[in-house]
Amino acid sequence: MLRPKRLGIALFKTVMVAIIAIWSLLPIAMIFISSFKFDREIFAVPFRLGFTPTFSNYVALWEQWGGFFSGLVNSLIITVFATVLAVLASAIAGYAYSRNRHPVLSSSAFFLIFIRLIPPIVITLPLFPVVNQLRLNDTHLVLIILYAAFFVSLGTLVMRTFIDQIPIEIDEAAHIDGASRLQVLRRLILPLSGQGMVAVAVFVIVFSWNEYLFALIFTTANARTAPIVISEMIGAIEGVQWGVLFAATSIQLLPVLLFVILAQKQLVAGLTAGSTKG
Amino acid sequence: MSERKGLMGALALVAPVQAIVTLVIFIPALYVLWLSFQSSTYGQAAQFVGLANYSRVLSDPYFWRALINTAVVVLVVVHVELLLGLGMALLFASGLVARPLLLAVVLAPYAVSEVSAVVMWRFLFDPSIGIVTQALLALGLPTLEWAVFPSHGLFIVALLSIWLHLPFTFIILYAARLSVPGELYEAAAIDGASPWARFRRVTLPLLVPAMLIAMLFRYIFAFRLFSEVWLMTGGGPARQTEVLAVYLYNEAFRYNQFGTASATGWLLVIASLGLALFYLRKIYKEMFANAPA
Repeated sequence: MLRPKRLGIALFKTVMVAIIAIWSLLPIAMIFISSFKFDREIFAVPFRLGFTPTFSNYVALWEQWGGFFSGLVNSLIITVFATVLAVLASAIAGYAYSRNRHPVLSSSAFFLIFIRLIPPIVITLPLFPVVNQLRLNDTHLVLIILYAAFFVSLGTLVMRTFIDQIPIEIDEAAHIDGASRLQVLRRLILPLSGQGMVAVAVFVIVFSWNEYLFALIFTTANARTAPIVISEMIGAIEGVQWGVLFAATSIQLLPVLLFVILAQKQLVAGLTAGSTKG
Repeated sequence: MSERKGLMGALALVAPVQAIVTLVIFIPALYVLWLSFQSSTYGQAAQFVGLANYSRVLSDPYFWRALINTAVVVLVVVHVELLLGLGMALLFASGLVARPLLLAVVLAPYAVSEVSAVVMWRFLFDPSIGIVTQALLALGLPTLEWAVFPSHGLFIVALLSIWLHLPFTFIILYAARLSVPGELYEAAAIDGASPWARFRRVTLPLLVPAMLIAMLFRYIFAFRLFSEVWLMTGGGPARQTEVLAVYLYNEAFRYNQFGTASATGWLLVIASLGLALFYLRKIYKEMFANAPA
């Protein structure tokens, strides 16, 4: 009696897992595989798995879309600085929120939660003329500050949750030994909250590397990021160079995909901490 | 350490974060509120016009089109994600072989940019070479013509939004499911509860808070939907697939109507606050409950 039922459940689970895997990976796999195909094989109906792989799309991307590679460099610069800025500021503030209780502090923490409700597109309206006037238009700096600004509130809350898990006795012992608050932060808290900092870094890196709206509004040539260049390639799609587009998309995607997989544990912990605690 | 000195030190530590969000987000948002009561185009002196911008926005049929599109897409996307995420969380919690590997598989779309996702889904649904189009044709089903029919365009936007954001909803629900103590299920099993009863009486009630949180965050973020629509349909054909953020972008950066764009912006802010009101109240109470006065 029991056996067929168990078999049925196992079969059901296997089918479900297969569907989930196809759903998650098919769109990614399709463009990745197709990026190694000649155009005539991309256009072959039906889709073929067996084909002669070629790097011609990557070569064409290199030769025709040099802007894509400077876009990658811009994305890298912006992502690195936005991440360092957001993680450090969040860690310092998270420490203060974790170890101190005061109505003034609670109000300012509430303010951080409130801030997350303001849609990014709203603030582009006044920032656009201001950025132009300061001649910061089309610089890395604008995007670095914007990306960090939109993640320090979440980052602070995530860091507070992680630092809450470090026993306060450690701080107290250090204070008795005469350590100042900054020394405790630098020597004890920061080294012990590495997991939290990685969690915050995952958010900022994925966001900054992929962001589209701010980059569309605030960059034109010098600071153009990789997603903007890809969107221009889609725009030129009437004479579709699908293969070259797939090559660019694969290059843009692969590093951050690997990173998300490697930092999976911290990503999950960060998502849970960031949403359940505010 | 005196309490006063302690507070000043703590405030100094939170100052960088507070300064950046105040300067970059809060003050500009207030300025948008002021702008929304002014008649202003880029490069011209502003003039107070009261609620004229709001009444212009609210009497613009394109605004209502965008509002309805946004509402439909948000409702569909968030609730489908919630159902799928819940199903996947239960499946994962029931014990799977190679679970860490599968978790990585499920998380993969989280790393994908909106731009890349649009490339992928355009390719899958391409009218002539798309693999999904071919499959639909082979099954004798109608295909998607997202460049022709607005409803098809919105459908594919919704599909790709679900794909991009399902990892978030899933993770929140899966973490909540894992934190349900196993003893509860053992007790229920001893009492002879059926699997359905265990789900209905143990799992579901304990997951409700996490479901509400996941929904709230997804409502707020789905409401900002911009890139997917902008890159997929550009709001067309004939502005029929615009959502609120695209409408705002067009008003501001295509038609130079900063007044109406600002009014739209504040309608977005108010809607976000309205959605989050209960959540804000709860957080507020919790925060000030554990703070000594």
